Amino acid sequence: MSLLFPKWTNVLPTVFAVAALGGAATAIGGFWYYATPKFWRVGYMPTQPGGGFSHQIHVGKLGMDCRYCHTNVEKSYEANIPNVSTCYGCHSDGKLAKLNSTPSHKEKTQFIRDAYSKDASIDWIRVHKVPDYVHNFPHHVHVNAGISCYSCHGRIDTMPIVHHVESLSMSWCLDCHRAPENHVVPKDKIYDLAFVQEELKARREGSPMTPAATAVLDAIQKAPPENCGACHY
Amino acid sequence: MSQLDPDHLNAQRLAGIAPAATAPAQPLDPQTGDGTLIDTPGVRPPLVLNNRGIGDITSIVAGYAENAPPKWWLPAFLTAFGIAQLGGAMILYLVITGIGTWGLNNQVDWAWDITNFVFWIGIGHAGTLISAILCLLKQKWRTAVNRAAEAMTIFAVICAATFPGIHIGRQWMAWFLPPIPNSNAIWSNFRSPLLWDVFAVSTYGTVSALFWFMGMVPDFATLRDRADARLRRNPEGPIVLPFLPVRTDQLRAYIYGFLALGWRMSGRHWHRYEAAYLILAGISTPLVLSVHSIVSFDFATSVMPGWHTTIFPPYFVAGAIFGGFAMVLLLLIPCRELFANMKDIITLRHIDNMAKILLATGMMVGFAYSMEFFIAWYGGNKNELFAFVNRATGPYWWAYWTMITCNVLSPQLFWSKKMRTNVVAVWIVALLVTIGMWFERFVIIVTSLHRAFLPGEYHMFHPTLVDIGIFVGSFGTFMTLFLLFLRFLPVFPIAELKAVLPQASPHHHDDDHGKGNGHGHGHSTNTHGKHAAGGH
Repeated sequence: MSLLFPKWTNVLPTVFAVAALGGAATAIGGFWYYATPKFWRVGYMPTQPGGGFSHQIHVGKLGMDCRYCHTNVEKSYEANIPNVSTCYGCHSDGKLAKLNSTPSHKEKTQFIRDAYSKDASIDWIRVHKVPDYVHNFPHHVHVNAGISCYSCHGRIDTMPIVHHVESLSMSWCLDCHRAPENHVVPKDKIYDLAFVQEELKARREGSPMTPAATAVLDAIQKAPPENCGACHY
Repeated sequence: MSQLDPDHLNAQRLAGIAPAATAPAQPLDPQTGDGTLIDTPGVRPPLVLNNRGIGDITSIVAGYAENAPPKWWLPAFLTAFGIAQLGGAMILYLVITGIGTWGLNNQVDWAWDITNFVFWIGIGHAGTLISAILCLLKQKWRTAVNRAAEAMTIFAVICAATFPGIHIGRQWMAWFLPPIPNSNAIWSNFRSPLLWDVFAVSTYGTVSALFWFMGMVPDFATLRDRADARLRRNPEGPIVLPFLPVRTDQLRAYIYGFLALGWRMSGRHWHRYEAAYLILAGISTPLVLSVHSIVSFDFATSVMPGWHTTIFPPYFVAGAIFGGFAMVLLLLIPCRELFANMKDIITLRHIDNMAKILLATGMMVGFAYSMEFFIAWYGGNKNELFAFVNRATGPYWWAYWTMITCNVLSPQLFWSKKMRTNVVAVWIVALLVTIGMWFERFVIIVTSLHRAFLPGEYHMFHPTLVDIGIFVGSFGTFMTLFLLFLRFLPVFPIAELKAVLPQASPHHHDDDHGKGNGHGHGHSTNTHGKHAAGGH
């Protein structure tokens, strides 16, 4: 028997045990890090038609309101993507001074006029999408309850090309549904993303909620739904 | 030309392949069957027959794993394996296509899947009872059946565990069963018995497998040492396959040696082994009762008439032991006939004992069946009473009466000792009980669901080919594993069997003692005392 397994095989159980523990730790750690929406959704930034719509220029620099394009966000499940005529409203020939003065600008926005003249739509690529079993995330309900665009989309007004900021995982939804006080803001500030960022940051660091925010929280009775049927119906 | 090794020769002789050197024939008292059916309280009947010596036990048990298998083994294995494959293909089809391939409908949303789950998990209980409770109660006859019963337990748990896994519909989400933190923040519902089930069954499977494996470690060491010794005496032994120049014994030595975990038969090893065995027996004992209690909670904690009953836990446990012992008998009676010398180890007394357990547990489930009816009437709940009357007289009356006939009536044969010791009768009753226990679960699940509260919801359940294929396939898996066990693993615990040999408890011998009485070496302290008084 002693000749059957040479002496060096005595280390094998230890090696196997360490390898098994290490392997299990690696598998769990790998799964933990890589197999969640935090890893594979956050940072998603597809290349958009025409190089993309720069929210940084339109919202951040020019100060357009979110609702100028996403017209139905307060009334509808969908924060609708504007149709070409909304773009064309400004980017038509002769409307913007810059269009005539800067040839590169004219070149860059030509796809809008092309689409408009062909009566075609621009195939924007969707960035944020919840699964179909989360029946149409209701934008109007959230916006009207005092949740800013910032809470889900981040500082869109600083993004030259839109990318995914939050994980949109179910646990992320529940984090807010279970503690709405971390996110509600006064209704007149919902589209002021810079303000909301500062306000929520201050709140996280311990400053009390403003009376205006508290009033909103009271209005939703401090209780966003947590039951399955609220989203999966 | 290779010369057969002496212990290999002995194993072949004991297996009936080589001619026996001596025929250990003793005239038997016809009253005692094979010499074990002794009712005199003062006489301890032998647990191993034919005057087998300590070496013979090793050779017989190791021989099952070392000799070429009997002729029927390969066809039986291939058949079982083919059926298992069929079941596997059906499961694949189910996973690809969806739960709609089963005959389930809005009303009967649990049917054969959960029936098969409860059926298989119940079967395992005999193994745990034999290995744990009978060990603690020092029932020495258990040593002849415990290994096979434990193996059967594990194979049954494997078959059982398939069904909850595949019945969930989205099988790739099965990892939601245990509480694992995830990015959906979905957490198990700890108030649901379905979750308790996950813990109960996985604990049960783990403890049973540990118990089974630990018991085999010394036997693996024996198999390893025999292979190694043969190899040393004759390095030119047979090779594995004509084109594979590896000596069979070498392969055996390494595989069994790996499984033996360095066991060297030292006194310290045995000491630890005994302690660990006792601890595992202690851990397993509550499992015998808890696992099927928790399985019964799946039903009892609901508000379905026919399920919502406090009698369920004890009734399920009794039924599980009942069904489990039926399966042990169903498997071991043919083995006893088909394998050489197995009758020396599994004697008529073992069959008799297990038949008595069948009778006792059969009466318990019979009592539970009648109690359910009594309470349905006595409780005064119309829905409850309807559920039970519907069981016996509704469209599934045939299932109910199959269950009663098989489970309550058929074991009544065992009031007669003649029947208990007639292996054919015992086997047929065991088969009936197995059928009856499957129908019991079918009756509980399907007949309770198919006519629930509202007549508008009444539905019948019709199994599809996929239902049937997966059920039959689970038998294929079970038999495949059991046949592999019979072929490659130590079917009996060698050391423990030696400990219950008559030779293991030596007494004074005088010349005429035991001569021709067929009691083998069964000595009683009573006669012993008489001898002592008689002038030793």
